[in-house]
Amino acid sequence: MTLSPKLRNRITIFMMLFPTFLLLIAFYVYPTLYNLQLSFTDITLLQLRQGGDPVGLSNYIEFLTSNSFFDIALNTVFWLTAVTVALRLFLGLCFAILLNSRFLAEIRMTTIARLILLVPWATPPVVAVIAWRWLFDPRHGPINDLLLTTGLIDDPVAFMSNLTTVWPAIVTIVVWNTTPLVAVSLLAALQTVPEDLHEAAEIDGATRWQQFRFITLPFLTPTISVLALMSVIWTFNNFVYVWLATSAGPGTYTNVLATEVYIRAFIDLRLGYSAAIGVTMAVVMAVFGALYFRYFGLTEMQDKVG
Amino acid sequence: MKTTLTRLMASAAILTITSMAASADVELTFRFNDSEREEMRAALDEFEAANPGITVELQTIAWGDSRDQFLREAAVGQGPDVVHIAFVWTQEMAEAGILRSIEELEGYQPLPNGFDDFIATELTEYEGQHWGLPWSADTWAMVYRTDVLAEAGISDLPTTWDELLADSRTIVENTDSVGFSFPAGNQIWFPVNYFLWSNGQEFISADGNGGYELGASADEVATAMEYFSTYIEEGLVSESILSIDVPHDPALMQALLDGDQAMALMPTNTFRQLLAAYEETHPGEDIPLQSGVMMAGSQAPQTHLGGRTLVVNANSDHPEEAWRLVQYLAAAPLFENYYVNQFPAQRSLLSQIDYRPEESGFSTQLAEHTRTWGAYASSGAGVGQMWNVTARAFGTALSGQSSASDTAADLLEELERMIAN
Repeated sequence: MTLSPKLRNRITIFMMLFPTFLLLIAFYVYPTLYNLQLSFTDITLLQLRQGGDPVGLSNYIEFLTSNSFFDIALNTVFWLTAVTVALRLFLGLCFAILLNSRFLAEIRMTTIARLILLVPWATPPVVAVIAWRWLFDPRHGPINDLLLTTGLIDDPVAFMSNLTTVWPAIVTIVVWNTTPLVAVSLLAALQTVPEDLHEAAEIDGATRWQQFRFITLPFLTPTISVLALMSVIWTFNNFVYVWLATSAGPGTYTNVLATEVYIRAFIDLRLGYSAAIGVTMAVVMAVFGALYFRYFGLTEMQDKVG
Repeated sequence: MKTTLTRLMASAAILTITSMAASADVELTFRFNDSEREEMRAALDEFEAANPGITVELQTIAWGDSRDQFLREAAVGQGPDVVHIAFVWTQEMAEAGILRSIEELEGYQPLPNGFDDFIATELTEYEGQHWGLPWSADTWAMVYRTDVLAEAGISDLPTTWDELLADSRTIVENTDSVGFSFPAGNQIWFPVNYFLWSNGQEFISADGNGGYELGASADEVATAMEYFSTYIEEGLVSESILSIDVPHDPALMQALLDGDQAMALMPTNTFRQLLAAYEETHPGEDIPLQSGVMMAGSQAPQTHLGGRTLVVNANSDHPEEAWRLVQYLAAAPLFENYYVNQFPAQRSLLSQIDYRPEESGFSTQLAEHTRTWGAYASSGAGVGQMWNVTARAFGTALSGQSSASDTAADLLEELERMIAN
């Protein structure tokens, strides 16, 4: 029996991909399914040896109907994700345009400016949060010193404990630490915009804003779309910034889904309940990703750009 | 050929002897969570010298991570041989099946003064056996900067929660310092319980029928929340204390050292570290720090009898040697020479402690005004979990995120669920 070339090709491809499938099953599919299984039990960290009892959907029901669910969801979706991603994209675009400008080149500051921009990105989040906590410190922090010296405030502000200032403070840390990645990515995209398009537009009398709106932005849109998607997923699931900055406090005021997962699993020791929150987060992100591709399909955007 | 064979045989013999020697050595791991790492390493060096063939690796981990780290490791057959845990974790870890019982370990070598010499042994009991050796004992008491009190015109130390609040107002009014400040984050659990206990309440009580019930009403818990909120609302302390989890936080310690704060509450070892820091920065000067008994409410003041336990991991391959290490760590010389900021959890050793004059408050508190966690521990609700939900609830109320009455009701609902489970 001889195999057709097409079938042989398929078998070869399958055999070459098989080890990767095995790795994916071992390190992704199995943990995911195990987490799903845990979410239907009442297992705690104290019962790891004995295992938990099945509780059906009660973990999901308890979480989705809890008094804190709305606050946690709002914190995660609005403050942690929407605000920081929007600011990151806006500031990243501004920095990218600045770094690509003739002005910086004329004063021979392009390289230095690009290096400076990379410093926050190269700073590990742990270090960034600790540094910013010190900057925000009410007793010894330079920000309070500056505000007091200039007379803008009469008493020190406890930025990380005050309900009015705590979220803006966290947003500041996230944006400071992550905007450079967006800026550098957009800078790379900016450099692919053909210069002759701008020249032609200039000859046709287009203003700078019109050039940006109708030439630059369409070229940047695919990059912005990918950055937005990645930033949303990465930020939505992020634990580090909130936990290190405030431990979800004061009280539970800055609690987000990722910190709730940690609190429930490793402080309250309720692994099953925590797994249910994790599954909920995964479902939300999967739905978001699907909708995002449905309405902002990257292929279509590539087509539009040409 | 013959020479080669001889060399091979000789090499094999050397390898065999070497591996036998290696297998005779026992390597223990001791996980220790306090800050006295260097002192503990020196103590372990002494243990190793006295016990040839046993080496001890010292691991340190933050208290905040130690409980779940050990639970995770032990569940999969791993973890250190000897572990330093809080009194109140012993029962839950015994229930998890990750500890060896004291009764089993005493089979290797009995304790010199017997297990009854140790305090708070009921906190280590689970299903008729004991699962940890109480190692160090502590409680919290009040600490004062006497010079700041004098500057504010306060001659007598406060004795009730109301007096504490009134004195705080006086200090803020008459000096540049704050009066009473406290960690309002995770460890607000302690002052909150002292407040409730001194008013005849507690979060969980025995119901008299072998079961457990809530020991405080929502109004009573809300009153406690409002009491501590008052300090922040009136500006008697900075609201930054909401981010302070522990009494040894540098912000609190430095404020006491500098005289920017007049009154605090803390455990014994923190006070000893404070005294040492003051002496180091003010050599030869009188120490303006004094300890005092905790505040009273409608009843006498009470604080918890707390401390640390040493446990042997059920997965240890060397339980006999691990037990030998535990016995060494619990002996008097360790507390005299190395672990000097801590009090031993043994009656025979506690009675020998020479308190400094500044520590008289702690001495009285420990001798006359302490209680164990009692029903909190025996109810099975889990002191650790109770502690965490309570701290979060108080943070919610103190920050103004939610009203005291709503938060208190939510907290009690959660505690009820924990009792039921």
